[in-house]
Amino acid sequence: MSNYYDMPKLPTAESPKVAIFVDGQETFVPGDTNLLEALKAVGIETPSICYHPFLPVSGNCRQCLVEQEGPRGRSLIISCFTPVSPGMKVFTPKTSLRVKNARKATNEFMLVNHPLDCPICDKAGECSLQANYMESGHDSRLRENIGKHYHGSPDHAFIDSKGQTRGGKQVVLGPRVTLDEERCVQCDRCVRFMRFVAGDEQLQLASRGDSTYITTFPGQELDHEYDLCVTDVCPVGALTANNFRFQQRVWMLSRTPSVSMDDSLGANLWIDHNHGKIWRLMPRCNPEVNRSWISNTSRLAYLNFDKDRLEAAPIETLQSTVFAAKKVAIVAGGACTLEDLAAIKALQESLGAKAELFGGTSIPVVEPDGISKSGDPLANRAGFKAMQVPDANLQELLQKISDFDTLITIHSDLIGEDPTFEKLKQIPNRIVLSAFKDCTANAATLAFGVKHWTEVSGSMINSLQILQKLNAAPTAPNGDLKPAYQVLFALAGIEITEVSAAWKQVQDRIPTLKAYQRDSILSTGLKLEGVV
Amino acid sequence: MSTETVKVCTANFGKGASDISVYKQLGGYSCVSSKLFDLSQFEIIDIVQRSGLRGRGGAGFPTGLKWSFVPRNTDKPVYIVVNADEGEPGTFKDHFLMKEDPHRLIEGLTIAAWALGSRTAYIYVRGEFLSCIETLNKAISEAYQAGMLGENIGGTGFSFDIFVHRGAGAYICGEETALINSLEGKKGQPRLKPPFPAVSGAWNSPTCVNNVETLMAIPWILENGPEAYAALGTLQAGGTKVFCISGDVKKPGVYEAPLGVPLMELLNSPQYAGGIEGKLKGVIPGGSSCPILTAEECEKATMDYESMASLKTMFGSGAVMVINETRDMVPLLKSLGNFYAHESCGQCTPCRDGAGYVQRILQSIHKGEGHEGDLELILSLSEQFDGTTICPLAPSLGMASTAFIQKYRSEFESYIQKNKDKKASRISSTFRPGAFW
Repeated sequence: MSNYYDMPKLPTAESPKVAIFVDGQETFVPGDTNLLEALKAVGIETPSICYHPFLPVSGNCRQCLVEQEGPRGRSLIISCFTPVSPGMKVFTPKTSLRVKNARKATNEFMLVNHPLDCPICDKAGECSLQANYMESGHDSRLRENIGKHYHGSPDHAFIDSKGQTRGGKQVVLGPRVTLDEERCVQCDRCVRFMRFVAGDEQLQLASRGDSTYITTFPGQELDHEYDLCVTDVCPVGALTANNFRFQQRVWMLSRTPSVSMDDSLGANLWIDHNHGKIWRLMPRCNPEVNRSWISNTSRLAYLNFDKDRLEAAPIETLQSTVFAAKKVAIVAGGACTLEDLAAIKALQESLGAKAELFGGTSIPVVEPDGISKSGDPLANRAGFKAMQVPDANLQELLQKISDFDTLITIHSDLIGEDPTFEKLKQIPNRIVLSAFKDCTANAATLAFGVKHWTEVSGSMINSLQILQKLNAAPTAPNGDLKPAYQVLFALAGIEITEVSAAWKQVQDRIPTLKAYQRDSILSTGLKLEGVV
Repeated sequence: MSTETVKVCTANFGKGASDISVYKQLGGYSCVSSKLFDLSQFEIIDIVQRSGLRGRGGAGFPTGLKWSFVPRNTDKPVYIVVNADEGEPGTFKDHFLMKEDPHRLIEGLTIAAWALGSRTAYIYVRGEFLSCIETLNKAISEAYQAGMLGENIGGTGFSFDIFVHRGAGAYICGEETALINSLEGKKGQPRLKPPFPAVSGAWNSPTCVNNVETLMAIPWILENGPEAYAALGTLQAGGTKVFCISGDVKKPGVYEAPLGVPLMELLNSPQYAGGIEGKLKGVIPGGSSCPILTAEECEKATMDYESMASLKTMFGSGAVMVINETRDMVPLLKSLGNFYAHESCGQCTPCRDGAGYVQRILQSIHKGEGHEGDLELILSLSEQFDGTTICPLAPSLGMASTAFIQKYRSEFESYIQKNKDKKASRISSTFRPGAFW
């Protein structure tokens, strides 16, 4: 569509409070935002379809109607486009039958050309349209058998056995996204996402009236590093991700909030899993960090999380090798949490002068993309600094190979990232603590399987100095696997099984964190001042 | 009523005034002189306000007031956009006005440009009006040659350019913000308001959108004074209106009459439509969006904003469509439904999906497949269009169908009677939520 307005202003803790009258009651709401967000801030939910807090307002779904008293009497307004002004009088369905009916009518209108195929729809259970339908009394007069208007590309139409024109159930938009044209409610969110967030306008609404449909430009496809985000913003089941399409019903999934450990911005995510298997990674809204977006790389990484996993080994084999060593190089890799780093420090201390610390990654730092990636592949770099673990001295290790007789790498695929590290094979004892059978693990004399970052609880400090929590999803392929920090603390002679105990070790090493209990850190993280 | 109507906009009809020399002989361009340039911007706006001129495109917003909303002293240019996207079914006045008398539009535009401090105007002409566009382009190039347009008009330092923009024929582009979008090269879809175009319109600059007929009345007002114009009409609304009378009358066509003329005089007087063919059944007074009037209501109707409002209809664009007893209301409303469903821009949910739904109900009634309760359904949907959309397209369909059904209900019911299963529930017995339709 052609009409876009400004990004919604979201309320913050500093927002001035102004008095407005909601249903006749004086209510204090954030004054620098739109009515929809202001009402939400005081606990009044307004249904919406096209409104998204991180996309420009479009105002086309008409679902968020409220009544406002103006100079010419009460009139219906859309709350997403109306700024809060002091003293305004608004009416919600609680007192206004007109608003209630108008919202219900809008919902009915939206269902007119919607196939209502919820039982086979991937979005069922997390669909805004479905939620609004249930809220408005799950009853629609417009279901009547008057026939629906096929809205989709004429190329995809066919006549079904009842004589209805249908089609567009499985339109391949690109390598990762499939469109169901019948389910689309033309809310325009995906178009706005590609245009204003991804910055690459690959989707458009074609045609007009009830023939409007989503399409790519002729001969082109939807192919972008962030294209799977359109399946998140889609309020209905029109845009579906090929990796999750027909895999699971969403209400069968458990969600674990965690943080992506492949980039130092630490995009917040939901790990959706059941029966010990991750089915998808979804962005978890954090206005400070990644808003509602994650890149395809982070999102699709889970496809390999259960492949080529290392088996756990008895810890005694590890202990005998480490204690027999004369000079040990300990290498910390990108996915090390603060707890892992504390354990590494503890191990170094217990080994004394025998041990030397190395850290970092050979993957180059690139420019931030401004959406959900800072470009720095060492996710916990700020944590490395706070813990005083070297974060970029791998080349030194190469120069000093002959000094060492034992190498321990933790979550670090040195050889896979840079083949010149093949030289490390000169070190006689090569111990690898890793989740995967990667190149370094294959070259190891002792490969010790540990849990992947999706399976451990921990914490990390991202590039914005926000302390973020990882939570363990119960998806480890093997019950014997332990978090790396547990193994390392055991080597250092400290018995730790609980993450809370590991957190105390972290606090001991970073005094500024003393004030914070692990449980008190919010899921959106804790902004740290002056740790690094 | 006086026997000879004063012609404000149509005085030059049939005189070949599309040629600049003829137009000048008839007294044209007399306003593009010291008569205009001696007045300040505010004096012109004051004159227009005193004339009582209201927008002739359909909404009837006072023109002088609209002009006074355009902010001064911003660092942005002020644009004037002429709404010549005449798409309302039944309306054809602007087409004739531009074809017969394009120079009067240019003269009116020049006055408006002086009043608003504008440098550039766009005439947004409906795509189908090809011959109109040719006439306009010819007239504009003549005016440039005669020094009525371009740089430094009349040695005053005032410069003004007019561009003709051809639309693509979408009805919704007659809505001013959709028109501006279309002019900017975007999809013609109405914008959310505020801001109104007067503050932020074309290219986010102050923009004044006026109808062709409105601007064509301005030279006369300047020539003869606002009081003379106001005296032509009723007390509440001054001036004349160009009516396009179509349907079952003896002489369909474009007629100019003072505001407040009784509807029946407009239909029966030999100087206007010259009588009704057959027995009158109803009149749509201002274009398809306006609720229809029954024959009884026509008797007491006068053609002005207040009388129309008191009859719960609208003055609209002056498109008087006359319907006699031989006409069937059901296919008529069905055609309207088809039109609105086809012309919905697809932005707001109620209009996008609702207009098509109403269209399909009307189609099924017309086919003799209507059910009891269908009329109530249309009435309630019409109510739900009201106030829930950005622009008045869906509410227009709602108002029109409400009036048709309320005033000619028996005809719709007799169509529904044709359905043997009319009492059966529309909901299919095999319907289950989630089943394919």
